[in-house]
Amino acid sequence: MAGIRIENVRKSFGVLEVLKGFSLDVADGEFVVLVGPSGCGKSTMLKILAGLDDATSGQILIGDREVTDVAPGERDVAMVFQNYALYPHLSVAKNMGFGLKMRGMARAEIDRRVREAARILDVEHLLDRRPKQLSGGQRQRVALGRAIVREPQAFLMDEPLSNLDAKLRVHMRAEIGALHKRLGVTTIYVTHDQIEAMTMADRIVIMRDGAIQQIADPDTMFQHPANLFVAGFIGSPGMNFMRSMVTMGASGPQLRLFGQDVPVDRPIAELAGKPVIVGLRPEHFAAGPGPVSFTVTPRLIESLGSEKYLYIEVPEENRGAITATRGGEDDHRGDSVIARIMDVGAIPQSEPITLSFDPSRLYLFDAETHVTIAG
Amino acid sequence: MTRRRLNIVLLYAGVVLTCAILLFPIYWLVVTALSKPIDLRVLPPNFWPEVPQWQVFAKVLADRPLLLWLVNSTLAALGAVTLSMSVSIFAGYSLSRFRVRGGQSLGLFILTAKMLPATLLVIPLFGIFRSMGLVGSLWSVILAQATLIVPVTTWRLKGYVDTLPRELEQAAMVDGCSPLGALFRVILPVATPGLAATCLYGFVLSWSEYAYARTFLTSAQGNWTANLGLTTMKGEYVSDWNEISAAAIMVAIPVLLIYLFLERYLVSGLTAGAEK
Repeated sequence: MAGIRIENVRKSFGVLEVLKGFSLDVADGEFVVLVGPSGCGKSTMLKILAGLDDATSGQILIGDREVTDVAPGERDVAMVFQNYALYPHLSVAKNMGFGLKMRGMARAEIDRRVREAARILDVEHLLDRRPKQLSGGQRQRVALGRAIVREPQAFLMDEPLSNLDAKLRVHMRAEIGALHKRLGVTTIYVTHDQIEAMTMADRIVIMRDGAIQQIADPDTMFQHPANLFVAGFIGSPGMNFMRSMVTMGASGPQLRLFGQDVPVDRPIAELAGKPVIVGLRPEHFAAGPGPVSFTVTPRLIESLGSEKYLYIEVPEENRGAITATRGGEDDHRGDSVIARIMDVGAIPQSEPITLSFDPSRLYLFDAETHVTIAG
Repeated sequence: MTRRRLNIVLLYAGVVLTCAILLFPIYWLVVTALSKPIDLRVLPPNFWPEVPQWQVFAKVLADRPLLLWLVNSTLAALGAVTLSMSVSIFAGYSLSRFRVRGGQSLGLFILTAKMLPATLLVIPLFGIFRSMGLVGSLWSVILAQATLIVPVTTWRLKGYVDTLPRELEQAAMVDGCSPLGALFRVILPVATPGLAATCLYGFVLSWSEYAYARTFLTSAQGNWTANLGLTTMKGEYVSDWNEISAAAIMVAIPVLLIYLFLERYLVSGLTAGAEK
């Protein structure tokens, strides 16, 4: 096992720059997830790391060894692909032992390691089958098995769960997490699913348009997003965004939200007279009165049993901030925000309801740069 | 009769008619081979000989070196297929996988070689082979046929490799294969149906080739291929059509057997190639 250091890796196709100076230090045994919308460069970075694609510039070290120009097979990493890429002409056992055979390992040792991996992944009874005789979940296990028998320095996983159905995905997610804890091998995992990122990662790297937006552990990522994009990407449903002018009230700076002045305890006095983008997570709305209360008639109520999603129309003066996130799953919800209300009884459709929020829960972003305003 | 049933009847009638049209020449070949020469000139024709002349096959084999011709045809076809496949495997794989400047044009350029008629190439090839001392040798036919087959087999293999996920060889490379190792250890074994179909196609193309054999091998009777030999059975004034037909049947049998043997691969190879 070893850590991985990626230093300022760039990748261009002609004038198109798909990776704009990617740098990352991964500690030995760490589980790092690269996440972002499609086309953000995360899979390209993983392929460069595996040696399947060349970087235009930059350096990659695995352990203390520079591997930037080393062939994929000599980097001592194992990769799990989205479509599993099992060799269709070989049995499960031969699929798993292929990499060891390529390294000239003795047959008895290959056999021992394959059986051990098969036992860990509970595929011992499938060893003589061909990949086409396996279900999706079984193929996924075999693909993982092919990676772990190698006992490599690092695992690289390229959206390994996206071909599975929702239920199996949740199950395999937990299994991969458990496997990582058991083996302790450095893992770099690529996904576009922020829930996978949040549940599996020691640290998350959020990417957009070939550039890193933020590197942080899941809780920090959720609670202290570096910018509007990260705030919108992490969390489901995504964070609500509204536009507001900063004004100076009697007790200090204040925002105008849902038709009322909301004092905020942040050092934003110098922004008075300028607009900011205000973020509020759906779960930070509450039913009934609170620090800031307002009464609205929800446009739509979706019930998920234990929780309800209330779609609330945003006042005209707060609109125009939502499209800025680009890539979040709720980009196109237009001029409404979502309130996620837990454990509430029946809410009649088309009747006014009082909601509230705590202004200390608000996130503030620069309207121009979209960077989080500290405070 | 419902409309649906009528459609089915019409469909089957169409299938039967098409099969009848396709199979009639083969049936007539058999009838001709088994008839006495005198019976072939009667009108109306006999649709099955009264006494089938099965001994005609033995007579042809005794009178003509048909087995030698078949061996020559087999050697020429195997040689041409081996030569063209050893080029096409690399060419088809490269055209499918590597994006190089002008690669697309190069691929199309290879195809133009197939567009030229064999008769156009015969004269320059004759000149080349004469200077190399290959005229009269089976090698001349092998080389010439390979040039005809390569464009087709290259494009068929490219089409087949296109259908295989790129991750297969990427996985092999991460597992420790070189790019060439990934081709031989993973891609080619996986592409067996496509390879078999392509080989068979090349074999049939070569087996049925006549113009090159006629030009390069005429002077060397010991190297005649079956097609060339068959045409020499036609006399200037009199032709024994029953013997020619019997020989033609025997020439067709090897290809028929190969088709039967490889049918499974052929069908899956053709459909897999068409998937893209």
